[in-house]
Amino acid sequence: MTSRKYLVAASALALSAVVAGPVVADEWPERPVTMVIGFAPGGSTDIQGRVLANVMEDYLGQPVNVVNEPGAGSAVAFTNLANAEPDGYRFLFGGTTALTFTPIITDVEYEIDDFEYLAALALGQNALVTSAEQPFETFDEIIEYGRENPMTYAQQTALDQAIIERVAEAEGLDLAIVPTGGGGGMAPLVLGQEVDFAYSGGTHAQYTPTGEMVIAAFLSAERSPFYPDVPTLMELGYDYSIEDWRAIIVPQGVPEDVKDRLMEAAEFASQDERFIETTEGNTFFPVVYYDQEQMEDNVRRVRAATEEVMAD
Amino acid sequence: MDFSIVGSAIGETLQFDALFGIAGGVFLGYIIGVIPGLSRSVAIAIAIPMTFYMSPLIAISFLIGLSKGTAAGSAVSAILLNAPGEASSAATSLDGYPMAKSGKPRTALQVGLLASVIGDILATTILIFVAIPFARVALLFGPYEMAAILAFALVFIAGLSGGDIFKGLAAGALGVLLGTIGLDNQTGLPRLTFGYTQLMDGMPLIAVAIGTLALSEMFVQSEKLRYERETMAVKLENHKGDRITFPILRKIFPTILRGTGVGTFVGALPGLGPSVGSWMSYGMAKRASRTPEQFGKGAPEGVAASESADNAVIPAALIPLFGLGIPGNVSAALLIGAFAIHGITVGPLLLRDEPELLYSIFAGMIVASIFMLILGWFGLMVFAQITRVPPHVVIPIVIFFCLAGMLLQGYGAFGLIILIAFAALGYLMKKYDYSFVTFLVAFIITPMLELNLRQSIILSRGNWEVLLGRPIALFFIACTLLAFIILAKRTIERKKPIAEIGD
Amino acid sequence: MARQSFWSGLVVMVFAALCLTWIIPNYAGVNPLAQMPPDLVPNIASWIMLLSAGVVVIKSIMEMVEKRESPVNLEIDWRAFGWAAWPFVYIAAAIFVLSHVKLTYAGAPIIALMLILLGERRWYILLGCSVVPVVLLYVLSVYMMRVGVV
Repeated sequence: MTSRKYLVAASALALSAVVAGPVVADEWPERPVTMVIGFAPGGSTDIQGRVLANVMEDYLGQPVNVVNEPGAGSAVAFTNLANAEPDGYRFLFGGTTALTFTPIITDVEYEIDDFEYLAALALGQNALVTSAEQPFETFDEIIEYGRENPMTYAQQTALDQAIIERVAEAEGLDLAIVPTGGGGGMAPLVLGQEVDFAYSGGTHAQYTPTGEMVIAAFLSAERSPFYPDVPTLMELGYDYSIEDWRAIIVPQGVPEDVKDRLMEAAEFASQDERFIETTEGNTFFPVVYYDQEQMEDNVRRVRAATEEVMAD
Repeated sequence: MDFSIVGSAIGETLQFDALFGIAGGVFLGYIIGVIPGLSRSVAIAIAIPMTFYMSPLIAISFLIGLSKGTAAGSAVSAILLNAPGEASSAATSLDGYPMAKSGKPRTALQVGLLASVIGDILATTILIFVAIPFARVALLFGPYEMAAILAFALVFIAGLSGGDIFKGLAAGALGVLLGTIGLDNQTGLPRLTFGYTQLMDGMPLIAVAIGTLALSEMFVQSEKLRYERETMAVKLENHKGDRITFPILRKIFPTILRGTGVGTFVGALPGLGPSVGSWMSYGMAKRASRTPEQFGKGAPEGVAASESADNAVIPAALIPLFGLGIPGNVSAALLIGAFAIHGITVGPLLLRDEPELLYSIFAGMIVASIFMLILGWFGLMVFAQITRVPPHVVIPIVIFFCLAGMLLQGYGAFGLIILIAFAALGYLMKKYDYSFVTFLVAFIITPMLELNLRQSIILSRGNWEVLLGRPIALFFIACTLLAFIILAKRTIERKKPIAEIGD
Repeated sequence: MARQSFWSGLVVMVFAALCLTWIIPNYAGVNPLAQMPPDLVPNIASWIMLLSAGVVVIKSIMEMVEKRESPVNLEIDWRAFGWAAWPFVYIAAAIFVLSHVKLTYAGAPIIALMLILLGERRWYILLGCSVVPVVLLYVLSVYMMRVGVV
C-alpha cells in the first residue's frame, strides 16, 4: 500500500507545481510538456534545445522537460516519437537529417509522413573544413592541389561521402576517404593534418575563431551569415547540397489548437534574446523561423534530392 | 604567467559562492558516485540543467567538483559492495572488496581516497604548469599511434586475466564481437543490429557496464545469501589495525605516482577514457610489484593504482580541451556543452582572452580536490555504516538503482532488457570463471581500435612503410608484440597465472 | 570444475559456430570495396572464441578422463538452481511490468516484494527501504534532471 500512499503524495506534489506556475487558464498545456532531444547531453542540439525549453516554458506557462533519447543520430528518438500519443505533450527538437537521409540507407520504422514539421528555428551548418597549416585554403585550391597529389578526406556520414566521391570523380582526384567517429573524431585528424580536408556538421565553430581551421566551402544551399566570404558548393558549380533544419516535430495527428500553441511558442522563441544569444553566439547556428507550410515542403524536397544523390 | 591575474583569479575562487558551488558539486557527485547504477554520465546530466541558474565560474566549478566527486564516490561501492558504479572503478573492486571482507574496509576506503586525491592534485598541477603549452603533443598521436596504443592496451589488459587463459581469450573475443555491433562507420550500414534501431549506436556501454559489474554482482550475492547469510556481510568492527598506516602509505606511494603518470598520459590523448587508464595502471602495478601474487586478494597497491589513475584522467582530459579545444573523453565533451551554455568557447582562446577565468577554474580544481579529501574522510565514517546494513536489504535497493540509472538516461524498456541480459551474462561468467574483466575491456576498446585501424589502413593506402616515419607507433607496436610474447609464453609454460583476478 | 568447463566451453563453441555460419553472414553486412570489410573483426573474434573454447573443452575432457569423472551429473540440486534463478525471473518480470508502468510508481512494490522474498519481515524496514529510494528517484528525475517522471 506504500505505492498508493506515494501516488497520493506524488499527485499532491504535481498539483502544487501546477498551482504554483503562472498558468494561463484553460489553455493547452495543462501539465508539463516533454521535449525530446535525439542526442546525448552536451551536444549542440542539446544546448539549443535546453535554452529553447526554458524560453517555451515562459510562453506556455508549464514546465518543459528535456529528455535525451540518444542513439543512431536521432533515429531512436524518431522511432519512439512515431509511436507516441499525438497529444502534443511530447515533441522533438532536432535536425531533419534523420528523416531526409537515414531512411534511405537503413531500415527504420518511421517515415517522413509519420510526423508534422511545425517550425524550423535554426539552420544546420554543413561545411568542408581544412587545417590552416595546409598549403591550400579555398575549395578551388584543394581541387587544384588534388589534381597533382593524392588526397585524403574524413567523412562523417554516407551522404557527405557520396557527394565528395562524385566531386572527386568529376575532377579526377585520387582521394582516400576515412571514416571518423563524428565531429569529435574529425577535429584531431584535421588539426594534426592526418587528413587534407574533412566534413564538419558544426564542430568547426570551435576552431575557426582561433584560426586553426579554415572553412573551404559550405555544403548548405546558402552561405552562412557568420562566414559571409565562404562560398557554397552550389556556387562553385557542383550541384550538391546538404540541407538541414533544427525543427520542432510532432507525431501526425496532433489537434489543431495544440499545434497552434506550439507554433506560437516557437515563434516567440525565435525572437527571444536568450535563444538567439545561445544559438548564434555559442553554437554558431543562424536562428530562423520557418512555418509549418515551408517546412513540410523543405523536408520533402530535400528528401527527394538526397534520394537522387544516393541512388547510384 | 601574469601573477596579478593569478592572484585575483584565486581571490575570485575563494569567494563564498564559488566555494559553495564547488562543495555542492563534490558532495552531489560523491553521493551519485556511491550509488551503484548511477554513474558520472547521470551526474553530469543532472548538473547541466542546474548550471543554467548559476554564474559561469560557479557553474564550471560545480561541474568539475561533480566529476571529481563521482570518481571518488564510485570507489566506495566498488570496495564495500563489490558493485562498481562504472567500468573505470572495476579495477578498484578487485582488491578493494577482498580487503573489505578481510576486516579492513576502512583501510581500503582510506587508500582509495588518498590515491584519488593525490592523483587528482598531481594531474591538475601537470595540467596547469606543463600541459597547455605542450597540448599540441597530443596531435602527434594520429590514427597509427592510437591504433597501436589500443592494441597494446587490449593485449596487456587481457594478459591480466587470471584463471584459465583460454577462458579469458574466449571472454575477450566475445567482448570484441559484441563491440562490433552498430552502424559500420565506413558505409553507415547496420552491422549485427538485427533490425533494432536502438542498437545502431552499438550496445549501450552503460547497460553493459551496469549489467556485468553491478547488477550481476547483486545476483551472485543473492545466491550466496542461501549459504552464508550470516558471514557474507562486510563487517565494520572497531579494529585497531583497520586504518591506513605509514608503512602502507610508503608502500602505495610509488604506485600512486605511477598511476598518476598513466592516468595523465591516457587522459591527455583524446578518446581513450578512464577505464583504459585505471586498468593499464592496475596492470603495471601488478607487473612492477615484488609480490604480484597478492593482487586480487586484497593488495592496497591494487586499490591505489586503479583509483589514482581513474582520478588523474579527469584533469588530464582537460589538457587537450584547454590546449586544443578537443575533449579528452565523454565527460570533457559534456563540459564543452556546459561552457557553451554560459557563452564560453573552450579552447586555446580561453587562455588569451579570459586568462582570469581559466586560472579561476584551475584554482577551483585544486580547491575541489581538497574538498574531496575532507568530504571523503568524513564521508568514510558515514558510508562505512553501509556495511552495517545486512546484504539482503542492500540487494533490492541496488537493483532498483541499476534499473533507475538506465531509465534516467532515456534508454527505456529496451535498455532494461539489455541490462538484464548482460547481468545474466556477467553472472554466468563469474560462476564459470570466464574473466568478465577481459570481456568488458575488449568491449570498450574494440570500437576505438577498429576505427583507428581502418583510418590507418586507408590513410596509408596499404603502404606499410608509412610506419617507419612514425616512431611512436612503432614503439607501441613493439610493446604489443612483447606483451603478446609474454602472454603466449605463459600459456605454453602452463604456469599458474601470477594471481587470480576476480572471484 | 572440469565438468563445468566442459559444458560452458561447449556452449561457447556452439555460439561461435552459430556466429560464423549464420549470424555474421546474414547480419554483418558486406562491403567488398572496404579495405576492412564489416564482417572481418566479428569473424576473427568468433574464430578466437571457437578455438579457445575448443582448447577449454579438450583440456576438460582430458581432466575428466584422468579423474574418471562422468560428463553428466544427473543429481541436479533443483533447490539450489531455483534459488539462483528466482532473482532473474523476478527482475525479468519487473522489467515486463516497467514497460507498462513507470519505475517511480512501480518501484516501491518491486523493492518491497523482493525484500519479503529475501526474508525481511519487519514492516518499518520494508516501508523505509521501498519508499526512500523512490522518493530519491522522484526528486532526481523531476526536480534535478528535469526529465519528468521516469
